[in-house]
Amino acid sequence: MTYDAIVIGAGHNGLTAAATLARKGARVCVVEKNAKPGGMALSGTLDGVEMPRMAHLVYNLNPRVLSELGLSNVNLKPLKTVSLSPDGNHVVLDGNRATRVDGTPHPEATAYAARYDDLKRFSALLAPLAERSAPGVSFGGRKLDKFSELMAAARIGLKLKLLGRRNMREFLRILLSNVHDYTLDELSDGPIAGAMAADAVKGSWSGPRSPGSVLSLMYRMSGSGPAHVMGGIGKLTEALAEAAQSQAAEIRSGAGVARIFVAEDRAVGVLLDDGSELRARTVLSSIGALQSLKLAGVEHFDAETVTRLRNIRTKGTAAKINLVLGGVPTFSGLPSDLLGARIVIAPGSTYVEHAFNPAKYGEMSEAPVLEIVMPGQIEPGTTQPDRHGMSILFHYAPHDLEGGWTDAAHARLLDITLATLDAYAPGLRQLVVASEVLSPARIEAETGAPGGHWHHGEWSTDQMLTTRPASGLAHYRFAVRGLYLCGAATHPGGDVTGLPGRNAALQLLKDGACA
Amino acid sequence: MGTTDKYDAIIAGAGHNGLTTACYLQKAGLKTLVVEKNDYVGGAAVSRELHKGWTYSNCSYVCSLLRQEIVRDLELPRFGLQVIPYEGNVTLAPGGEYFGAYGNHDAYRREMERFSVKDADAYDRFSRIIMRQCRFIRPFLLRTAPDPTSLKPRDLGELLFMIKRMWDLGRREIDETLRFWTMSIGDMLDEHFETDLIKAGTAGSGIIGTGLGVYSPGTAYVLLHHYMGDVDGSVGAWGFARGGMGAITRALAAAFTEAGGEIRCGSGVAEIRVSGGRATGVLLDNGDSFQAPVVASNMDVKRTMLKHVGREHLPAAFAKAVENFKIRGSSGKINIALDRLPTSDTLPDNGKLFCGDYSCTESLRHLEKAYDEWKDGYWSSQPYFDMLIPSKIDPTMAPPGKHMMTVFTQYAPYDLNVDGVRSPDNWNEETRAAFAKSIFDRLECVMPDIRDCVVHAEVRTPLDIEREVGLTEGNIFQGELTFDQLLFNRPVPGYAQYDTPVDGLYIVGSSSHPGGGVMAAPGANAAREILRRKGLGRRMPKLASRWEE
Repeated sequence: MTYDAIVIGAGHNGLTAAATLARKGARVCVVEKNAKPGGMALSGTLDGVEMPRMAHLVYNLNPRVLSELGLSNVNLKPLKTVSLSPDGNHVVLDGNRATRVDGTPHPEATAYAARYDDLKRFSALLAPLAERSAPGVSFGGRKLDKFSELMAAARIGLKLKLLGRRNMREFLRILLSNVHDYTLDELSDGPIAGAMAADAVKGSWSGPRSPGSVLSLMYRMSGSGPAHVMGGIGKLTEALAEAAQSQAAEIRSGAGVARIFVAEDRAVGVLLDDGSELRARTVLSSIGALQSLKLAGVEHFDAETVTRLRNIRTKGTAAKINLVLGGVPTFSGLPSDLLGARIVIAPGSTYVEHAFNPAKYGEMSEAPVLEIVMPGQIEPGTTQPDRHGMSILFHYAPHDLEGGWTDAAHARLLDITLATLDAYAPGLRQLVVASEVLSPARIEAETGAPGGHWHHGEWSTDQMLTTRPASGLAHYRFAVRGLYLCGAATHPGGDVTGLPGRNAALQLLKDGACA
Repeated sequence: MGTTDKYDAIIAGAGHNGLTTACYLQKAGLKTLVVEKNDYVGGAAVSRELHKGWTYSNCSYVCSLLRQEIVRDLELPRFGLQVIPYEGNVTLAPGGEYFGAYGNHDAYRREMERFSVKDADAYDRFSRIIMRQCRFIRPFLLRTAPDPTSLKPRDLGELLFMIKRMWDLGRREIDETLRFWTMSIGDMLDEHFETDLIKAGTAGSGIIGTGLGVYSPGTAYVLLHHYMGDVDGSVGAWGFARGGMGAITRALAAAFTEAGGEIRCGSGVAEIRVSGGRATGVLLDNGDSFQAPVVASNMDVKRTMLKHVGREHLPAAFAKAVENFKIRGSSGKINIALDRLPTSDTLPDNGKLFCGDYSCTESLRHLEKAYDEWKDGYWSSQPYFDMLIPSKIDPTMAPPGKHMMTVFTQYAPYDLNVDGVRSPDNWNEETRAAFAKSIFDRLECVMPDIRDCVVHAEVRTPLDIEREVGLTEGNIFQGELTFDQLLFNRPVPGYAQYDTPVDGLYIVGSSSHPGGGVMAAPGANAAREILRRKGLGRRMPKLASRWEE
C-alpha cells in the first residue's frame, strides 16, 4: 500500500505534522527509530522514578497546535521561576511580577515589569510570523501566495505602527540587541538579569552579550511562559501520538530509516533499517536538515544547497542531568512551598556569560547555569516518600568537548552539577541515590539531534526565517518534490512549540503534494 | 572677561567631521566658527611631533573610508591631501609561520595555496560576497537614515530607497545579506576557510574598535565597515595620508579658512548654551562666549548632551537613551619612534608585505580569548594588534634612515579591573607600563629586537584617548557599531537625523550615521540636514549619486 505521507521521527514536531495531516484525511505513517515515540519530549524512569528524560518544561508551546488537534487532555501548569542568589536573597518571578521569597515586592520589581511587558508586547507582535511559513519575498510562486505574504507583512507593519512611536522605536532598537546590555541598562547584575539572560540563551551556542539574544528571549516569551505538562512532558507527545492514531495514522516504533527513496526527482518512500520498504506520496523528515539530506542522497541536491546545509551551525551546548534524591532537598533561604517552581541558578548576566566562555574553547562550564525542576513537587502525590526526582538542564557543556565525552567527562559534569547545587542546597549531594548524565553527545546518539543541539541548529539571526534551515529551503520543501522538513531545523525553530511540524504539514497540504 | 561674537553657526570640535560640516556651512554662506579645545585641529586625525624629528599619526593611522565624493567636492588634494595606497598585510604567528595578503589577486591566491588549495578557491567566493555587500552599502553612507516611524515624504522616500535597494538584490542575495549582516566573522570564516592562520588574519577587521569578539554576531558587518572604503576608486584598499592623518584635517581646515571660516584653538567648550529649548551659542573654558543659532557638535553624543548641554534641557527619555548609548572603549595604541627597522626571523623577505599592516595572531580562538579578558575589565594578555610602519612608504614621517611605527592594539578596557574594582582611575603610570609591556612582549615574539630599536614610545590607553581627544571612554568610533546603534538607531532612535531635542543643536560626529572611521560622511550628511532645516538645502552640493555603482 501507499501512504499519503511518511513522517520520519516521532518527536513532538513529527507527531504534530502527522496528526495535522491525518486530521485532514491523509493516510500517514510515522516511523521512529527508538522503541518509544517522544524524541526529546519524553518521559523516562530513573531508579523507578518517572522523570522527563530530556526537555522538562515547555515555554512557548503554541496554543493553536493544541486547539487544532483537539488536545484538551494536555494540561499545562504555569510555573513561577525562582532565581537563586548566593546571598540568599532569591527572587521569585511570576509573569511580570518580581518578589522576594516572602512575597514582598523586589526593589527592582518596577524595572523588571517594564522590561517584561515590553518584551511580551514585542513577542506578541512577532508571534504571527512563527505561525506560518517563513515570510519572504517569494519571487515566482503563486500570485495568491505572494498576496497573502504581502498581507501578512502588512499586518505586522500595521501592528507595529499601532504600538505607537515609542514602542516602535524601542522594538527596532532592541530587535538585534544583546540581552546583557538590555537588562543591565535598567537592572542590577543580579538574579533577575541572570534569569532573563539564561532564558535568552537556552540551548544556544551564545552568551548574553551576543547580539541577537534579545530576539531569542522574545521568541521564548511568546507563549505562556515556563510551564509543566501535567503527568510529565511525555504526556504531550503521547497525546499528540493519540491524536494522530485516532485519525488512523500509524506509528511504527523501533523503525529507523536507512534511506529515503527518490525516484524521478520525487520522494516515493523510505527504506527501514530492517530492510522493509514503505511507499508514500510524500515524506516529511523531522530530523536534522543535513541528516535528512544524507538519507535522501546527496546526488539530489545542488552543490550550493549541500554547502549551505553543511554550514548550519549545530554546536549543542546543553546537557541534561537527572537525579533521584532520597529526601527533599533544602535550598538555603527558600521556603519548601517554592520547590515546585522552576529554580534557576543564574545569579547574574555576567555569570551566564562566564559560563559560556569555556564552551567556546571546548570546555564545560565550571560554574554552570542550571535550570532545576522537581516534578514530584509540582504534582504532589505522584512521588514516593523516599524517592524524589530532580531534572536539571546544564549550560554550557559543548558537544565538541576537548578530549571527547568519555565516562570521566560525564562524571566530571555530574560532579560540577552537584558542587554547584550543594552551594545553594547544602547536603544535597548526600541525598543522591541515582543519577544519569545526558551530554550533548549522548543526546545526539539517542535522539539523532545533530550536535545534540536542542534546536537542531543554532537559533540565531542568520539561521532564522528564510535562512532556516538554509537560504532557498525556507518553506519546508526540501529540494525534491514530495520531500519536506518538519523539525526544529526549520522555521520557526527549536523549543517545544509544535509549530515547525504544524506549519510543514499545512505547507504540504497547500502545495497539494499528497493529493 | 572674554569676548562675545555672533556667528551663524558654531562647530564644537575640529575633528574631521566637524571641519567637514564647517566647510559646507561656510560655503553655503553661513558665517561659521570652529572651536577646538586642543591647540591644534584634527581631533583623532592628527599628525604630531611627539619626539623630535618623528611625526606620529597618534590616533587614527590609516585612511580608506574617507568619502571620495567629499574629497573631490572640497578639493582636498589642492590643500595638500595625498593618500598613498599601500599593499599587503601580513599575519605573523608566534610559532614562525606567516600569512601574507596581497592586493594582487594571483599573488594572494598563491599565498593561500601555500596553506590550502581549498582555501584559495574559497577566497574568490569570499571576496565576491564582501564586494557585493560593499556595493550594497556604499550608497547609504552619504544619505540620511530615514525615521521608520515617520510618514513624512522624505522619510518614506528614504525608506523606499532602502527597500528598493534590498529588493533589487533578488531573493538569494536578500538571504545572503540578512545572513551577512547578522553573522559573526568567525562563523563566516569557518564556513569558507579551513586554515587557522588565514581565518585569524582576515578576522581582525571584524573586531577593530568594537566591544565584540570574533564569534559575536554582527562582526561580519564590522569587517564590512573596514572594507567599504577605497583609495582612488580601489574598493577595500587602504592608504597612508602623506604626512600622517593630520594631512586630512589640515586640508579640511585650509579649505574652510579659504572659504572664509574661522577656527579658534586652545579652549574647549565648557557649556552649550540653551535657552527656551534652543541652542544659542557656546561658552568656552577660557570664558569666551559666542552666539549662534546653530551649534554643531563634533563631540560624541554622550559628551555633548550630558556634559555640555545638561539634563535639565533634555526630555528624560532622551537623556536616558543617551546614557545607555554604548560607547565602551576597547582599544589602545603604542606609537613608536624607531632607530632602525626591527628584524624578524618570521618575516618573509618581501617588500610588498613590509609596507602594509602586520598583525600577530594564530587563530580565531586566540582572538576570542583576547576578547574574554576585556569583558572582565582586563587588557588582553596576548593582544591582537594591527601594526604599521608608515615611514617605509612616506619618508616625511621620520628622519632619514629612521622609522615610525604605529601599533593599534585590542583589547584594552576603559574601566580597568584591578582587584575586582573596575574604574578608569585604575589607569596610572604603573598599569600603563604593564599594559605596554604586554604589547612589547607580544611584539617580541615576532620581532625579537623590537625593544632595542625603540627611541621613544607613546603609550595610549582608552583613558588617554578620552582625555586627549575627548572620545568618551576612548571609543574610537564615538559609539559601538552594533545593530542597535546603526542607521536609524544611531545615536538614539528618533534623533538619527543629526538633530537633537534642543533646537539648533546637531550631532555631526561619528556618533551619528554612518558611524566611525575617518569617513567624514556624518559631517557632510549633518551639514545637509542643517542647511535643509534652514531652508538652504539647495546650497548643499549633491554628493551621493542616486545609484552609485
